[in-house]
Amino acid sequence: TPTPSAASGTPTPPSRRLLGSAFLQEFRNWETPWAMEAMHMVALEIRLLAEKADRELVMSGKNPDKLQAAGSFLMKVFGALAVKGPKRVGALYVTCQLFKIYFRLGTVNLCRSVIRSIETARNFDFEDFPVKDKVTYMYYTGRLEVFNENFLVADQKLTYALMHCNPQSESNLRKILKFLIPVKLSIGVLPRRTLLEKYNLLEYADIVTSLRRGDLRLLKQALDRHEDQLLKCGVYLVLEKLELQVYRRLVKKIHIIQREKEPSKAHQIKLEVLVKTLQWLGITMDVDEVECIMACLIYKNLIKGYFAHKSKVLVLSKQDPFPKLNGKPV
Amino acid sequence: MSSIPHKNGAANVYTRGAISMLNNRSNGDGASLAVEDIDWDALTIKGTCQEIEKRYLRLTSAPDPATVRPEDVLEKALHMVETSEKNYLYKCDQLKSIRQDLTVQRIQNELTVKVYETHARFALQAGDLSEYNQCQSQLTRLYGEGIAGCHLEFSAYNLLCVMLHSNNKRDLLSSMASLSKEARLDETVKHALAVHSAVSSGNYVMFFKLYKKAPGLNSCLMDLYVERMRFEAIKCMSKSYRPTVPVRYVTRVLGFTRVDVLCEANVADGLEECEEWLKAHGAVLTVDENSGELQIDTKVSSASLYMPEPDNAVSHGDASLAVDDFLA
Repeated sequence: TPTPSAASGTPTPPSRRLLGSAFLQEFRNWETPWAMEAMHMVALEIRLLAEKADRELVMSGKNPDKLQAAGSFLMKVFGALAVKGPKRVGALYVTCQLFKIYFRLGTVNLCRSVIRSIETARNFDFEDFPVKDKVTYMYYTGRLEVFNENFLVADQKLTYALMHCNPQSESNLRKILKFLIPVKLSIGVLPRRTLLEKYNLLEYADIVTSLRRGDLRLLKQALDRHEDQLLKCGVYLVLEKLELQVYRRLVKKIHIIQREKEPSKAHQIKLEVLVKTLQWLGITMDVDEVECIMACLIYKNLIKGYFAHKSKVLVLSKQDPFPKLNGKPV
Repeated sequence: MSSIPHKNGAANVYTRGAISMLNNRSNGDGASLAVEDIDWDALTIKGTCQEIEKRYLRLTSAPDPATVRPEDVLEKALHMVETSEKNYLYKCDQLKSIRQDLTVQRIQNELTVKVYETHARFALQAGDLSEYNQCQSQLTRLYGEGIAGCHLEFSAYNLLCVMLHSNNKRDLLSSMASLSKEARLDETVKHALAVHSAVSSGNYVMFFKLYKKAPGLNSCLMDLYVERMRFEAIKCMSKSYRPTVPVRYVTRVLGFTRVDVLCEANVADGLEECEEWLKAHGAVLTVDENSGELQIDTKVSSASLYMPEPDNAVSHGDASLAVDDFLA
């Protein structure tokens, strides 16, 4: 079995790949998957070495192409495992290695073909795969759904990963939550502060607060402050869209206050009240913009009611004017 | 690199390999293959041609130095194009010719950047997105190599292009992430980011406000999204306004007026255009009994709105921008 090489000077991916190719050749010929662990070891090593090699290439000003080559090799390994018979349970591990490579390279569109093989080919029964591979698989495919803004599916996959993840593995749980929380926020589910603290995800704390309070300025500040981080892991766009939910919360609060003061007229909110409230919160928006936001809230089913343009009044439905998002994203 | 001697323009051993590659490449979709994608390393020469005006002739063999213009002539050629009053097709043709001469001589400096920037700007003004994209990718490469130019202006255009004309969220994320501190303070970039914010939350009022006061050529990029935004807006209004919404109001907030007006009473121009647009998209209009003003019957309209075929679509309603103008 190849042993991990110590960090001594330049690693030798080409020769490692030759070794890997030779091993793969033999592996294909063996009927039983007795050498699966070794095959996985080869796959993992090739990826790690390629990453290291690319880093060194970049530092010496050359073009980093080793990781891409590693990806091609692993596709061949996948091909050897995607066959009828006992070897196929090892395929998900290799799939996950490929995901890691594609995510690192930014070529996530390449994930599609492997996913198709796993999910539609008759060779695979998803339940047969080892749990840890399933968790990793769901984590990555869940992340892909976040990119595509399919929040309901993303929720399913990331939640699966969360539920089946080893509870001792805090760093893995943290990784899953990093993406699950924005998804949950999009469908109106807020995490408790204790959860954020436990997993050191406090970059979301202010965002959650802004949703609870209806504080638009706080949301914008939070997005600004953590912009680089949030852009890098790709959740920025998702969180940006929470803006409308923050407005909704604000309107709800105004409605509650009006209900206490004058219950009979509570379902009618004057546009000027909204504008003044926003001004008071430090947000200067003109009448047209506020009216537009109200229209958007109604259009996206965040508020039930209508807007009367002539009288400049937001008229809320008397029954359930602020319907629960019910897991449906905005 | 000194010019490779040759007899009567015939290919010598150094250029033969490159030429065969050229011929192989020019099979298929030759028209859209950018001049820059061909391997010119083996064909680099120094030009001697002195013509300031030169049509674009796609090279199919080794270039004769007598037909290629040196840098100083190309500078004059660029200036000529910039100040020319002729139409876009002419300028595009001239610029492609300049680009080819630069590429063949492997000139990759500030002049090259200026040429691409000029062509990109003309392309944007003409709505030629594909030419713009070609230039943008060259500019990204050249800026990346440290060559000076209007990189902030073009990073704004790049942002707008990614956010409005592609559905690729990852590209958008990486474009936003790669903005430097300096870029985020630039007015054109800030405007582009504000447009993103408006599009993200469906804020059509903000979109058209930004459209009206767009710096640089941001409005040209927004132009191509106007139709879609208007349709989204009208769908939104049809669902959320009851019983009606005045056409004057729609004219004002959806950018049909040339001048920014704050009050509906002042809306004069654009009213007819708006009415025509609304009808073309299935909106049902009624006349208010008391004021005599034209209104959209929102409830009825919400069931009848549709996006017409591109032929009928009135994007900015400027019928005077006929294609024939370009061919004059």
